[in-house]
Amino acid sequence: METQSWSSDFRGNKGFTQWDVHSANATGFGAAADDYMDKGIDLNEQLIQNKAATFFMRMNSEAMIGAGIHAGDILVIDRSLQAFSGKVVVACLNGEMMVRRLEKNFNKIRLVPDTDKLAAIDVDLNGCEFFIWGVVTWVIHRVG
Amino acid sequence: MVAIVDCNSFYCSCERLFQPKLHKHPVVVLSNNDGCIISRSDEARQLGIPMAGPYYMAKEVIEKHDVAVFSSNYNLYGDISRRVMETLKQIVGETNVEVYSIDESFLHLDGYSPHQLTKTARQIKETVEHWTGIPVSVGIAPTKVLSKVANRLAKKDPKKYKGVFVLDNLQTIDEALAQTSVKEIWGIGRRYAEKLESQFNLQTALALKNMNEAWAGKNLGGVVGVRLWRELNGEPCIELKDPLIKKKMIACTRMFGRPVTNIIEIREAVASYASRAAEKLRRQSGAAKVMEVFLVKNDHTDVYTYNPSTDALKFVLPEATSATHQLINYALPLANKLFNAGSRYLKAGIILSQLVPDKEIQGNLFTQKNKPSVKLMEVMDNINWGIHKDAVRFGAAGLKQPWQMKQEHRSFRYTTQWDELKLVE
Repeated sequence: METQSWSSDFRGNKGFTQWDVHSANATGFGAAADDYMDKGIDLNEQLIQNKAATFFMRMNSEAMIGAGIHAGDILVIDRSLQAFSGKVVVACLNGEMMVRRLEKNFNKIRLVPDTDKLAAIDVDLNGCEFFIWGVVTWVIHRVG
Repeated sequence: MVAIVDCNSFYCSCERLFQPKLHKHPVVVLSNNDGCIISRSDEARQLGIPMAGPYYMAKEVIEKHDVAVFSSNYNLYGDISRRVMETLKQIVGETNVEVYSIDESFLHLDGYSPHQLTKTARQIKETVEHWTGIPVSVGIAPTKVLSKVANRLAKKDPKKYKGVFVLDNLQTIDEALAQTSVKEIWGIGRRYAEKLESQFNLQTALALKNMNEAWAGKNLGGVVGVRLWRELNGEPCIELKDPLIKKKMIACTRMFGRPVTNIIEIREAVASYASRAAEKLRRQSGAAKVMEVFLVKNDHTDVYTYNPSTDALKFVLPEATSATHQLINYALPLANKLFNAGSRYLKAGIILSQLVPDKEIQGNLFTQKNKPSVKLMEVMDNINWGIHKDAVRFGAAGLKQPWQMKQEHRSFRYTTQWDELKLVE
């Protein structure tokens, strides 16, 4: 993922220290396992690249169902990323917040849903208030 | 050089972040208990809504112009503040940031090229706004006091400065000081400003700067005044302090949601405030030696009545402590003594002072060691900070807490509670 000029060194580890790694408590042959203990998997490391700029929101529609985003899913949004064409973004159009795929070419901007039930929106930059709130980086979807 | 980064109408900006339809719309945020206006957007200021004025007095204007009103949502503001400060730390390095308040920070900019400070300031501003969504103003100058002057001007004339102003030579400094009245100087209180204006006929910060040091020592309040005068003259005297300033006093005082007339509710409130104060105390690894409890009542008139000699009681603890149950134990008898049947109470508070680091508690010959309490508090704090506030609390603080303050217009805690996330379509 691309970052802005100030890159973050945050690893999402919530201040993990060496002491938080549990010893294997093994004896005999198993004692070798002690050398291989690590701190395990922390979801924050995977989902959060820049903690200060990362926000969570909840999807409340099926507008992006084709992109695998269902109503009720949690969106991970990174505000520090550049909103390139093709990214799924949280956009603000005339005060309404919506999740759509951003399409930019030359001076044209479109907000494209991923469902046949909704139409794409052509954004007229002169006639409305428009800005990108953040870039959606992950979706947390409950299975079953 | 020193920069001050100040969030514009911070509480209003936090509310707007999650309600973009309020962009360019007037917004105000109310104090605890929805009493006063404590933050207003530029648009609200332009409508003539006064800062720190009572809410009910501005209600007419607010309704007429459809101003958006919010109760204070400190969970949200605290989280967004942390993000702003974190962003600043990533830009200029952790050790160069001194968090001064919830919405302002001083930055130490010695490593930056003096010729590109405006560009640096602009970069800082843009990065904070991009990452956190909070608009900020940046003032840069040789000293903290001057950086505050720069920041105020940057805010005052957004068209000219676009939120960024650098004072890097004598001429611009003097021009800026000439546009600053003495009461607008950081560190000069209202009384001092009046004295300077009436007694010495000093109207502007420039006039004050042009006095001499001996005069400042004599008339500006000794060492502190000399420091301020030197800072105005471009000589840094106010050090960048450690980021976590330990407070010398911890207080928890709140209004009730309605007048309280019975002792049971007063005791609940006092126990609850004691719990909160104890929690704050432990956050800074401190212990308190002195406790003061006070009650504010309103018996006959519209004004608060508070007489420190009858409505407040001080108590010296046998041993400094930060354990909630011990502090509650000391606080409740004080509340009992203060309570006067037949009075209508509006507010209660608890103040802890003579704070010492909890590692250095002076043992008292007659008290037991505090070990079990320390462990208990640790467990309690871990649960309360980890799960949610007040997941575990002492029964003395009550369950329903009907005296709790009003927060009728509070927005969601968008960034700290899973079940209050912003919904998007």
